[in-house]
Amino acid sequence: GSCRVSMSITEIRSGFNTIKANIQARDPIRTLSILSYPHSLHKVKSSDRCCVSHQLFTFYMDKVFRHCRTEDSYINRKISSIANSFLSVRRSLQQCQEQNKCVCGQESTEKLKQVLVNYEELNVTAAAMKSLGELDILLDWMEKES
Amino acid sequence: EDALLPAPQNISILSTNMKHFLTWSPVIVQGETVRYSVEFQGEYEREYANESWIPISECSLMAATECNITDDISATVAYNLRVRANAGTRRSEWGTLTGFFNRITTSLTPPLMKVIADGYHLLVELEDMGPAFQFCVLYWKKGQESRMQQKMVKEVNSVVHLDTMEAGLDYCVKAQAYVEAINRSSSFSQTQCVRAQGGTSLWL
Amino acid sequence: GELYCSLPNPRNVHFESVNMKNVLHWSAPEGTGDGVLYKVKYSVYGVGKWIRKPECRNINRTWCDLSSETSDYEEQYYASVKAFLNGRCSDWVETARFNPLTDTKIDPPVVSVSSTEKSIAIILTAPEKWKRSPAGESVSLLQVYPGLQYNVSVLNKKTKKRWFFSISNNTLLVPWLEPGTAYCVSAQIRVPTPLLHSGFSKEHCISTLKDKTSGETA
Repeated sequence: GSCRVSMSITEIRSGFNTIKANIQARDPIRTLSILSYPHSLHKVKSSDRCCVSHQLFTFYMDKVFRHCRTEDSYINRKISSIANSFLSVRRSLQQCQEQNKCVCGQESTEKLKQVLVNYEELNVTAAAMKSLGELDILLDWMEKES
Repeated sequence: EDALLPAPQNISILSTNMKHFLTWSPVIVQGETVRYSVEFQGEYEREYANESWIPISECSLMAATECNITDDISATVAYNLRVRANAGTRRSEWGTLTGFFNRITTSLTPPLMKVIADGYHLLVELEDMGPAFQFCVLYWKKGQESRMQQKMVKEVNSVVHLDTMEAGLDYCVKAQAYVEAINRSSSFSQTQCVRAQGGTSLWL
Repeated sequence: GELYCSLPNPRNVHFESVNMKNVLHWSAPEGTGDGVLYKVKYSVYGVGKWIRKPECRNINRTWCDLSSETSDYEEQYYASVKAFLNGRCSDWVETARFNPLTDTKIDPPVVSVSSTEKSIAIILTAPEKWKRSPAGESVSLLQVYPGLQYNVSVLNKKTKKRWFFSISNNTLLVPWLEPGTAYCVSAQIRVPTPLLHSGFSKEHCISTLKDKTSGETA
């Protein structure tokens, strides 16, 4: 069966929208995208969508939010909101995986490997801040597919 | 070192319709104004960020004994909350909410509703309960409860058109609030009935 | 060197986008009168190079249409402007990252209304995405935003009562109305996620036909 995740993208997106300009302004590198390089998420086959989503949510939990603490308490609070929302969504994706509804094919493994390669091109803080600034790329892709 | 202030007591949450408030009893210090600061910690902070706490700037060194934490409780996970008293240079230990708070436990009240018959048209006016809310509106010909019809209202735009009515018949309506973020609904509002044109319009 | 690029920078460099017609706008550098010229470049976020826009080279206007260059709404973009005056120039000044999908504004739908004696029929047409030429392939914003919905307002001019409808398809029939009465219709587009709203369209007023057995009432 397919994996149905009740997820309020609207809430995550509205939280992100309030900090998007600030976060993206902290990323001066135009020539590299963590999520879209070399291939856009939109090229991911639908059969791999669930697994790629689960892997990317895990990537954000493990490697992004914790390195994005800023000097601005308002920004930190919004990042906390997004991170906690990601946590509850990833839990649902985890359940899908445990019920074998979230099969990982070759392509999803490749995609995550490429994301990590892009991530490791930069120092941790720069890579984490760039990844956070690309949250709308992830949300656009998830909304389009849902 | 100055004697510590007593930590705030009776810390509790008031949460209704996705509006969440932390409240506590005042700490009394003769001749001094006591101010309070509030912090929160989500499940993410516990599991991924070394159990760090995040201050709520709107509730930092404030005199009130209530803090609106709605904007920060914006995920359906378990949150810890704590508050500390400050007087001059002295301050208390943290007083921590007993147990976690998850917004899924918010109490949901049925929406205020007004049903209108305008000629042969059945309309409803619903209370604006905030962006998190949608409404499930059920309506039926009086006496035909088994043939209820449903309409989801996602945005409250004053008078919402439900359907057309057969002349002179009575139609009844009830509504419940639904919050997608926690996947829960309120109980239904009181049923209201109106009569379509072609007969006297009565509140039954 | 220093003197060469000591002209004040263009200001407020930003995209203005309606139905994904994406136009770069800016204000002239502070304190510079006439005669300032500009050039423009853009880049696709994550791709290595800046690309010059020839049609916006040495222009004296303060906008440049980059719709063609930014038409793939699955990508995000930056654009940049540089000013020149009397042998001096400014720095390149960049926009914020531009996401056509979430940063565009949407025009209201086109509303057409017809009436019978006791009903009005409303047909709504979502605006089209910007296209390179009139002969180009038309893409409705409905295809770009599959969750697109319409909010429709119907005002009875006699009773002054306004009703709202929320519909997903583009037609609405409102039956059982009063004959010989004027109704005014306007509509708005709502995209649930990413959350976008158009304004309400201009009101289209129409009268239901007169009841064969009595005169007009409004």
